Amino acid sequence: MGNKQTIFTDEQLDAYQDCTFFTRKEILRLHGRYHELAPHLVPMDYTNDPDVKVPLALIVNMPELKENPFRNRIVESFSEDGQGNLSFNDFVDMFSVLSEMAPRELKAIYAFKIYDFNVDNYICKEDLEKTLNKLTKEELTPEEVNLVCEKAIEEADLDGDSKLSFADFENMISRAPDFLSTFHIRI
Amino acid sequence: MRRMSVFPQHGTALGNLGLTANEIRQETENNTSELVSDLVNLSAGARFEAIRSLHVPFNEKKTIRNRVNSVKLSKTILAADCRQQVSRSFRRFRASLASAMQHLVIWQDTLKEIGGRFGTSVLSYFLFLKWLLQFNLFSLIINFCFITIPQIVHAPNISSITGFRGLELLTGVGYFNKTVLFYGGYNGEVIVSKPAYNMQLAYFFTIAAYLVLCGVSLIYSTSRSFQKNFALETGPVSGGAWRLLCSWDFSVVNEKAIQYNKNNLAIQLKESLSERLQEKNKMSRSDRIKHLSLHLLAWLLSLGLALGSCAGIYFLGTNRELAFSFSHDPSDLGAEASTLLLPVVVSLFNLIVPLLYSLISKIESYSNPRAKIYISIVRTVILKMSILGILCFYWLSFVPTNISCWESFVGQSVYRLLIIDFIFCLLGIFFGEFLRNVIGTMCIQSLGVPEFDIARNVLDLIYGQTLAWIGIYFSPLLPVMQVLKLFIIFYLKKISLSMNCQPPKHTGRAAQIQTVFIALLFFPSFVGALSMVAFTVWSLKPSDQCGPFQGLNTPFHTIFNWTHSLPETHWVRWIFENILRSELFYYLISLIVLVITYFLWQITRGRKELIKTLREQIVNEGKDKAFLLNKLQNLQKERREMASYRPQDFDQTPHFNPNWMNTLPMDM
Repeated sequence: MGNKQTIFTDEQLDAYQDCTFFTRKEILRLHGRYHELAPHLVPMDYTNDPDVKVPLALIVNMPELKENPFRNRIVESFSEDGQGNLSFNDFVDMFSVLSEMAPRELKAIYAFKIYDFNVDNYICKEDLEKTLNKLTKEELTPEEVNLVCEKAIEEADLDGDSKLSFADFENMISRAPDFLSTFHIRI
Repeated sequence: MRRMSVFPQHGTALGNLGLTANEIRQETENNTSELVSDLVNLSAGARFEAIRSLHVPFNEKKTIRNRVNSVKLSKTILAADCRQQVSRSFRRFRASLASAMQHLVIWQDTLKEIGGRFGTSVLSYFLFLKWLLQFNLFSLIINFCFITIPQIVHAPNISSITGFRGLELLTGVGYFNKTVLFYGGYNGEVIVSKPAYNMQLAYFFTIAAYLVLCGVSLIYSTSRSFQKNFALETGPVSGGAWRLLCSWDFSVVNEKAIQYNKNNLAIQLKESLSERLQEKNKMSRSDRIKHLSLHLLAWLLSLGLALGSCAGIYFLGTNRELAFSFSHDPSDLGAEASTLLLPVVVSLFNLIVPLLYSLISKIESYSNPRAKIYISIVRTVILKMSILGILCFYWLSFVPTNISCWESFVGQSVYRLLIIDFIFCLLGIFFGEFLRNVIGTMCIQSLGVPEFDIARNVLDLIYGQTLAWIGIYFSPLLPVMQVLKLFIIFYLKKISLSMNCQPPKHTGRAAQIQTVFIALLFFPSFVGALSMVAFTVWSLKPSDQCGPFQGLNTPFHTIFNWTHSLPETHWVRWIFENILRSELFYYLISLIVLVITYFLWQITRGRKELIKTLREQIVNEGKDKAFLLNKLQNLQKERREMASYRPQDFDQTPHFNPNWMNTLPMDM
């Protein structure tokens, strides 16, 4: 086009554009942000696809994630090893799903993964209690926490196994049109 | 398209079914090949959307994309290189167009900051403001290019009667009277240049085209918003599950705001718990009658207030000394200032009566807090639209018979209304938010920091936009004012929000209220403005001494004159006379539209039934699963007991994972 950048080859940028919801400019900007997180670790030249992963501790310090109660779970859900170490591809993937152009189904899948703390493909009562504690800290007594979680499972559980499977979760999301705009992090 | 299984087939899941590693790999490979062949059959745009929406990590997406591309290439006839180059350069062009368009987007960073600090519902107000700004900018550009520039270039020499005095900016008369700002500054001659430019047609068609485009854009936005946000509302939606899992706003990044949201969530959860725990007390009959009569009283009071304001405005407007003294003596400063009285009274009504409404609503009791918000919105909309309605009635029935060059008068009235509304908005920010914040934090601690009332602010924006749409026909450059006003209000509201207000506490169902606002912008606001302009163009006699439509019976007659000037067999003339002017055409169109609407309504009903059935099916499958698991466990227990009796019959206990059903792919 005119912009001579040497960070990615054109084929790489095409692949990023086809597989995520970002444009070329945004991908280059994302690379800049990724590089800022760990300048000594992340090379400026990605043309030969280096295998570099930024650890969890550095990523959750980003201003967009720093105050988010679920920051650890978000980063873990998008990492390949489940420990929160993101390569650049995972980083781009994460913000692509969290952008405003991602469709509801895709967001629902990742939201389910985030709320599933023990990674057993179900949101059970313990997962809900952990979610609630992250969202309210010390304002609710343990009995109230227990009651709220029980009520939540009672409402959303359709197939009666006293935990929320992905189908239950998706059913609940379909009745909440705000979800698309609240499950959104701008970068 | 066949959906890939939600959770990747890692070894553990399928391993429970007793498959070996090779079989697992084979199964995954089969899935991927089927996916690739599905994707190849889609069109290019749909294919990339589908690839982007796959819920697999990025590297797998890239592999799938490369495979799809190679399959597509192997199927082409042209040389592989050429085809690849063409498609790639086309995609790059589209992407660069998208990123160039992003440059035109204003306020991107500011909106991000607002969303980060105050959350999505407050952000929706600012997005609404930006959207209105786009409407007005578009109108300004086309009006300026097609109407004003030709008029300025070929302007006859009109010298103003009075020199420029400062009051013009507020009242719009005097120096501005015969300028291109208002209808009177245009004349309808045909500019004789190389392509003859008919000013009458230009004026008519520019305004008509703009209003039609606005209407189309509003209908599209309303239906899109309705489709996204008024989804299936069956079952309890304000319960704990929703609040816990779907309502947390991820886009807020400011620490204080997050703490605030956490507090709110805790309070709402406690409230909903205490509601649950309390016995739902059945209201006695006399209580119910009391509530109903209070509601009735409140409605009567509100409608009475609205009616009273309308009557007051009408009598003020038709007061001959006030209204018309100015047009008789244009150099009288006092008379000019007195024209400001009506706009000030209108703005005062718009400010005070909604406050009275909120006082009235305190005597009523609502079972549902959302009902309260909706009812107050309805009452405020009735008030504002009836005020605008009475003003339009006054402008269209009383004014044309009493003032010469009445369109300019109407344009100037709208201009004054907009300016005074803007001034009141500034005063409202200062007194309503700044002083209230000072009082709430320093003097009377119990009042607290004021909440940012989204509904009231959005309704004010809608009111201003309705005025702007009404005024476009009478004052083509009015959008300048509206653009400036929206610009300044954006920055002032942002500053006031950060300094003075706090975000609203009850943010549930924000998407639905958004839809209601967009629908309000279309239905009473735009449709009302359009009908007023249409009535003026269709049936009112334009003034004789000024404006582009002098001497005609109605402005619509320009079309008649133009089509009559075309030769008999010209296609435009034929379409106009045989289709647009014939009633049969409209009857047919209405009939067809009604039939199609009826069909679509029946389809919707059928789909609702289907959704209900599918929900019941999910519940039944859950029950089946529980039943089967129970039976399996009983069977296992029996076998184990029998094995303990007769161990020689059973060499090995069957290794069975009771959870095997959970590991099946979702689409089975």
